Amino acid sequence: MSETTPDHTEPAIEMRSVSFTYPRAPMGAGERGPAIEDVSLVVERGERLGILGPNGGGKSTLLKLIVGLLSGASGEIRVLGRTAREASRLGLIGYVPQKVGAELEFPLSVRQVVAMGASAGLSPLRRMPKGRQAQVDRAIELVGAHDLRDRAIGRLSGGQLQRVMIARALACDPKILVLDEPMVGIDIEGQRRFADLIQRLSSELGLTIVIVSHDLRTVATGCDRVACLHRSLHYHAAPGGLTPAVLAEVFTHDLEGVFGEVHIDAHRAEDCPDPGRHHKPHSCDGRDHANDGGTP
Amino acid sequence: MRTIEYLTSPELAGLYWPGVVTGMIVGVLGGLLSVLVVLKRLAFIGQGVSHAAFGGVGLAYLLGVTGATRAGAGTLLAIVLGFSVAAALGIAWLSSRRGTRTDTAIGIVLALSMALGFVLLREAGVRAAAAGRAAPPDIESVLFGSIVSVGWGDALVGGAGLLVVGLTMFWLRRPMLFWAFDEEACEAFGAPGARMKLVLLVLLALAVVVTVKLAGVVLATALFVLPGAIALRLSDRLATVVGVSVGAGLVGVLGGLVLSFELNRQGGPMIVLVLIALYALSALAGLVRIRSSAPA
Repeated sequence: MSETTPDHTEPAIEMRSVSFTYPRAPMGAGERGPAIEDVSLVVERGERLGILGPNGGGKSTLLKLIVGLLSGASGEIRVLGRTAREASRLGLIGYVPQKVGAELEFPLSVRQVVAMGASAGLSPLRRMPKGRQAQVDRAIELVGAHDLRDRAIGRLSGGQLQRVMIARALACDPKILVLDEPMVGIDIEGQRRFADLIQRLSSELGLTIVIVSHDLRTVATGCDRVACLHRSLHYHAAPGGLTPAVLAEVFTHDLEGVFGEVHIDAHRAEDCPDPGRHHKPHSCDGRDHANDGGTP
Repeated sequence: MRTIEYLTSPELAGLYWPGVVTGMIVGVLGGLLSVLVVLKRLAFIGQGVSHAAFGGVGLAYLLGVTGATRAGAGTLLAIVLGFSVAAALGIAWLSSRRGTRTDTAIGIVLALSMALGFVLLREAGVRAAAAGRAAPPDIESVLFGSIVSVGWGDALVGGAGLLVVGLTMFWLRRPMLFWAFDEEACEAFGAPGARMKLVLLVLLALAVVVTVKLAGVVLATALFVLPGAIALRLSDRLATVVGVSVGAGLVGVLGGLVLSFELNRQGGPMIVLVLIALYALSALAGLVRIRSSAPA
């Protein structure tokens, strides 16, 4: 493969007037029409972007376009100056899916799973080179999973599994980390560790981080900027500017999606983002989302 | 012991040894493939693929192809292999279309192959009788296998099949494992995921063709499910699982053949019964393992 040096002034991700319509409506989805429409978005290197939107608002579609799982969108998508497919093949993007596809009784250890991220594009006859072995160990170290390295993948808690998935994404030494709904199914302690980890990956490794979520708090706490997506882009700026009016516009069709069954939980107030850093976001009035701990 | 008598007497050895050798090859094949079949929940697809061989046998005999000559045996093999691969691809194609579920697709292909096999074999019998040719094998032996029908040519074909399956699985071990563990992420990491299912199904078709003469169309599936199911009960380490699975495949086949010699019964059903006994034991051992490793 011919490896051209990417232009270092290129933004991490650049989308220009991107629209995408599924060839056929997915089973169960009644309406057709574009999943996302005319989305233009620039993610600078080192930036932490949260993509917020209701379920079915096109977040996953946007994410799949960025990691190269979907193709055929109109408009232009460049990832570090390359096509999305090329960028993922070169290991420039680390992808952390919402769920692991396999059942978890899969007979693999944590280290074997993380190593998959480093060996995906390796020639079949080669053993994994020393450098990549070291990268695998470093990724495990980074997410604080050293003690778990020999444990079977099926014997992890939700939060531990998530860190392992992040390590797998880091094992290919990516420049961009893309996470799909990282807070779903994670307990409070896991969420706190996750926020810390994202903070460290951003400051220590200078990674560009894109987090997709339907949960306002997830994106408000750890991101420099937020993009609100409901088929098209409704807002793209610092989280501080997210007013109830903007949220209402984005979530008009699906307020439940972001707030779940709203209930009062005063003990969780400390989970709110630092008020000194941004304006106090909307979600931090002592409310919490009922579906934080379960599946949406 | 009849077994020793059969395998050492000069008159009988030539009749039984090819079946025993083929059985060992098939045991190893089943051990290798069944782990992935179980993990990817492809047991029912395996059923569809192996039953397709019945349609293939029927068609071959209708066309006047018998396994009597070397060229005839080759053509017979090619037709059966063609049928099984076509069934595998047909199932994959049918179930990739929205609106057809995989199990529906398998149900259709399985029923079609069985109906076709019966009709064609009966017709072939009528025509052979009219033309004074040798009668096609009786349906029972096609369905349940017969060790005396297995010759050294079949053992040779089995060996070649094992070589192809083994080398392919070694060559593709990384993407195949990644695909098996996490289909979507595999693609996002730039590894070839979607093709792996097709590869596995074609390997399965190949293995089935090698197996049907010995174990029969109906019982061949057992060899591509049970060894893996047994091994996964006993360990969550990949290397151990594969080793135990191959061992279980071998013990199942050889144990079944010994039983069939001793009790003077057909080999196929005995192999299945031994494998199921091993499965019951492994389930018991698995329970003990879980109980003893559970936190107090």
